[in-house]
Amino acid sequence: MIHILTREFLESFKSVRSILIILFITFVSYQSATFIDSNPGLIQEIVKIGGEEGTVYTAAIALIVLILGFLFVFATSHDLINKEIELKTMRLLVTKTSRVQIMVGKFLGTLLFWVATITISFAVIFIISGSWFLKDYFHSFVFLFYIVSFVVLVSTVFTKSKLTMFLGILFGIALPILGLASAVSNNWYLVPFKYLLPYRYLEGSIALMFVPIVIGAFYFLISVFIMQRKDL
Amino acid sequence: MSIIEVNHLTKKYGTTEVLKDINLEIYQGEVFGFVGHNGAGKSTFIHTITGITNKSSGSFTIMGFSDRQLNHVKKRIGVMPDVSNLYENMKGLNFLRYMGKLAGDKRNKPELKTLMKEVGLEGAAQKKIKSYSFGMKKKICIAQALLGNPDLIILDEPTSGIDPESAIKIRDLVIKLKEEGKTIFLTSHNLDEIDKVSDRVGILSDGEIKKLGTPRQLKEDKGAGVTISVRTKPILQKDDIQKLSEKMNTDIIFMEAKRDSTLLQVPSEEDLPEVSKKIIQSDVHLYEMKIEERSLEEVFMNA
Ligand SMILES: Nc1ncnc2c1ncn2[C@@H]1O[C@H](COP(=O)(O)OP(=O)(O)O)[C@@H](O)[C@H]1O
Ligand SMILES: [Mg+2]
Repeated sequence: MIHILTREFLESFKSVRSILIILFITFVSYQSATFIDSNPGLIQEIVKIGGEEGTVYTAAIALIVLILGFLFVFATSHDLINKEIELKTMRLLVTKTSRVQIMVGKFLGTLLFWVATITISFAVIFIISGSWFLKDYFHSFVFLFYIVSFVVLVSTVFTKSKLTMFLGILFGIALPILGLASAVSNNWYLVPFKYLLPYRYLEGSIALMFVPIVIGAFYFLISVFIMQRKDL
Repeated sequence: MSIIEVNHLTKKYGTTEVLKDINLEIYQGEVFGFVGHNGAGKSTFIHTITGITNKSSGSFTIMGFSDRQLNHVKKRIGVMPDVSNLYENMKGLNFLRYMGKLAGDKRNKPELKTLMKEVGLEGAAQKKIKSYSFGMKKKICIAQALLGNPDLIILDEPTSGIDPESAIKIRDLVIKLKEEGKTIFLTSHNLDEIDKVSDRVGILSDGEIKKLGTPRQLKEDKGAGVTISVRTKPILQKDDIQKLSEKMNTDIIFMEAKRDSTLLQVPSEEDLPEVSKKIIQSDVHLYEMKIEERSLEEVFMNA
């Protein structure tokens, strides 16, 4: 498991797409943090209307994760599972280790890559602002956990990597819209999205943030279940 | 002691039954060869017992572990599936390192290079697998099956499509592994190959094991009849043999009409006098009639 994790993690850094994404996120965090840092008045304004100081600094990262998170993770990992099945390299893996371990390794390796990415951004903010905004860091983590589990599920259910690329773009655009819309609206057809997507759990107590973790874990369990049944 | 025990194993893809009620025992330390035409189900069998695909019904045990517990013995089994299953973008050595880690193999880079040399891949360690020839891909696929020093080695067509010299090298490797006490299960459609290295052979056809035994037993298998070569003028053709069979009320099988003789199969040696009599009676000149030593190929053709 650890070897698949390591490979998945390291391979993630090798693709042009992920490098661009890391650079983009880091750059935006840096720009926004320096901008805020040089405008102390802005922070006070926002704190006055009920924001937290951390939220101000991390707003850029939060927005990226919330709005572009699905798109980014799909872009790098939509074929996490199905590609190896297509290429039949999965056959080699399953002769050496269990399917559960393969799935856990791939899931954690990808999650770790994203955690590393946002950690870099938070580190940049830390250097500029002097504080590590733990709550916002945790929020981003929960979001990424949810998104990565969802991507793993899609990559397991759909066996064609071309299809998941297309679905990735579709979900990457649609889910944030549906998620944010359902978080503020009470339309009956948005209700499932309200509870299934992680957006609404951002507000309120921190305990609520465990709901997306549980849903994500559930997605992952379904993925493993489907994987066990596959003829490779 | 049996290393693999298969009971009533079936595998269906959709509605087609690719493996039908397979029963088989592979013993510790033997080289077992599975022979069959393309599409007979050899690869499917390997996939099913190694966890690549799921069985449809029946059961099997490997080293005492049931099919549900297969994960417990994976480290003790080395599998070479089809050649298409490689990480094309990895360099040969890195590929073996990755596979080695998964297999719990402790070999370092120089030791892995030695392994590459053993299978005939010297000088290919730093080349990407996608630049390998077909034969080299086969070899690295065999090498990865040997990682982790497994007790049971399963090879799917290790020598098909590669040059004779490499094939001999791989055959020698198989023999060496057997001498080290490994159990080897391999498949091939090259009967000659199987004949040379296997202690026992199974003939698979349409998803069923048609014959099972040592190469010698199969060749001598009287139940399958006696092959004879008959030199006549004019040469006997298929419908001549059919008529002959009807006249004698015996199953005589036409196999092949050669340039000056015909190969046919009769149930037993006891039928030979009658066959020659009937041929002569049918106004055909009989010059020669002899029993052919049966090659495994023929046993196979009749399976
Ligand atoms: N994944 C699959 N889906 C459907 N049919 C398959 C699949 N794999 C193999 N088959 C069919 O099963 C039969 C046996 O194939 P295979 O085991 O590859 O034979 P062999 O290895 O003896 O050449 C063939 O008819 C093949 O078309
Ligand atoms: Mg095959």
